[in-house]
Amino acid sequence: MWTLAWKNVWRGRGRSLVTAGAVAAVVAMMLVMYGFSGAMLNGMFQNLTRTTGHLVLRVKNADEVREFDLGLVRGVPELKSAIVQALPEADVEAVLEVPALLAGASRSRGVVLMGLEPDGHLMKELVDKYRVRGAPPTDGAEWTAALGLALARALQVDVGDPVYAFAPGTDGLGAAAFTVSAVLDLPESTMEGRTAVLTLRAAQELAAPDAASRIVVFLPGLKSLEQSGVLEAARRRLQPLVPSGYEVLTWREAQPALAAILDMIKPMMLIYAVLFFVLAGLLVVNTVYLGLVERIREFGVIIALGADRWRIMRLVVLESLLLVTSGAAFGGVLGGLAVWRLAQGFSLPGNLAQQYAEFGLPVVMYASITPGQVVQVFAFAVLTAIASALWPAWLAGRLEPVEAMRHVA
Amino acid sequence: MEALVEARNLHKVYKADGVETPALRGVDFTARAGEFTAIAGPSGSGKSTLLHLLGGLDLPTEGEVWLDGERLDEKSAVTRARLRLWKVGFVFQAYNLIPVLTALENAAFVLELRGLPARERAERARAALAELEMESFADRKPNQLSGGQQQRVAVARALAAEPAVIFADEPTANLDSKTGLALIEYMKRLNREKGVTFIFSTHDPRLLEHVRRVVHLEDGRIAYEEDRS
Repeated sequence: MWTLAWKNVWRGRGRSLVTAGAVAAVVAMMLVMYGFSGAMLNGMFQNLTRTTGHLVLRVKNADEVREFDLGLVRGVPELKSAIVQALPEADVEAVLEVPALLAGASRSRGVVLMGLEPDGHLMKELVDKYRVRGAPPTDGAEWTAALGLALARALQVDVGDPVYAFAPGTDGLGAAAFTVSAVLDLPESTMEGRTAVLTLRAAQELAAPDAASRIVVFLPGLKSLEQSGVLEAARRRLQPLVPSGYEVLTWREAQPALAAILDMIKPMMLIYAVLFFVLAGLLVVNTVYLGLVERIREFGVIIALGADRWRIMRLVVLESLLLVTSGAAFGGVLGGLAVWRLAQGFSLPGNLAQQYAEFGLPVVMYASITPGQVVQVFAFAVLTAIASALWPAWLAGRLEPVEAMRHVA
Repeated sequence: MEALVEARNLHKVYKADGVETPALRGVDFTARAGEFTAIAGPSGSGKSTLLHLLGGLDLPTEGEVWLDGERLDEKSAVTRARLRLWKVGFVFQAYNLIPVLTALENAAFVLELRGLPARERAERARAALAELEMESFADRKPNQLSGGQQQRVAVARALAAEPAVIFADEPTANLDSKTGLALIEYMKRLNREKGVTFIFSTHDPRLLEHVRRVVHLEDGRIAYEEDRS
């Protein structure tokens, strides 16, 4: 039956090639799309957690706190030291965000002064990576600040110019002068227009001595969205250290909107996969059905020779499976090669990369596909083959041999 | 000797668009193992219908059909298919070989349906082709064979399965007289030397001279029967 089914598949060569080609295209496309979505997910995850950390210790329900000092984490050095003891492999940093008015010589803007540790991970990510000119802020007699490019333009200042920060009603100095040490071309325009990066010490002296808005924890072993177990294990180890009134959130809980966007990508891909395979399935139904109609007489002979209806149905399903798996195998090779190529790194064309950077997409992405996704694509192909053959197989199984042998196509 | 194939009071009425066309009107027929029987009659006399009913391809409107001790007309389609597979061989007027398969694969097809191992079915199919002097054409596809050669492959397909009986429905109708006669001679030799039971239909009176037992059908009834043994 395998020989007959295989030969039957290629009897209408043109039609079978078109159908197998469509299946190949769908399989290749789905593999590439899964690879692309993997690149997006991992890229966005890494981009996001690069600046937010994987775990965040902060005041409970900090988003709902309206007063600056009530949202502050106190006793930062002790908490940091306890976290480092619990998670020795992690990078732990304090961040202090101060809402303030920043003024240049003639203009001022409401900004967020972001106090970061000078040798920390976040300072490198924000200032080293996106610095257009100048040097990172340092603690010294003359305090320095790195301004977003849009903010620097709005204040009409540049590297070397003085700016003045006002944070009235806080526990610190409340006002201080800084020298612009660097200008940053940040990926998000909103952030670029309202962010000035200081050293943590400068921010604390200005607004909240020894306090922080949050303590962020980076887990070096956490590279992708799939490793939720690593994240939860780390959170469980931190939980007992958290004083009353504070909470430890995962990046998902700290950024629920972005996490929801990331979580939507996989179901979307599944919907696309179903749609594409349904379309391919319609073509397969057409091919298998025409193959049946053209061979009714032959099916009659096979039944006359002793094949029962189940065997006839199996033959039709087998033909569909061979047709689809041939296409799927070819598409798998094509898609695999494309994913392998994209896994070396790729960028979206033209201005798209810059536009999508606003949504946290990295400029250079690396395609990534899991074995489960590959299995899923091929399982869809097999399901398509079986589902597409059911109706023609049912029709073939109901043929009466005498009538079928009299059939004229 | 007990009957291998038997029909009792067989009626068959075809219905199409509310019109009833009787094809058989109370046929009683018996064939014993090892017989070589021709069913003769003009077109429309019911020859093909009788063969289809005897071979379990179709069900009678009334009457009984027995094959090797089993009553076919009471069996389900699946059971009749199984009985055809194991007990019946068919040769059709239009050869009805499977065009994508070679002569050898066609000859082995029923054996494949029976689930025999590839080596065994190839051996038996090759032997059947050799019986019909078609061994040298084993690798050819039907469209590379003449009509007579195709019909010999069809006989080999039936023969390879070693069925209890081979039904041949007008096997020479699409062949010229010389080739048709040669085919009948092949069938007779298989009947004589191997004891294969043949029941075939024909409307060609010239072929009947070579057959011992002839059942004449007219208007769906047996008109008379000749036995020249």
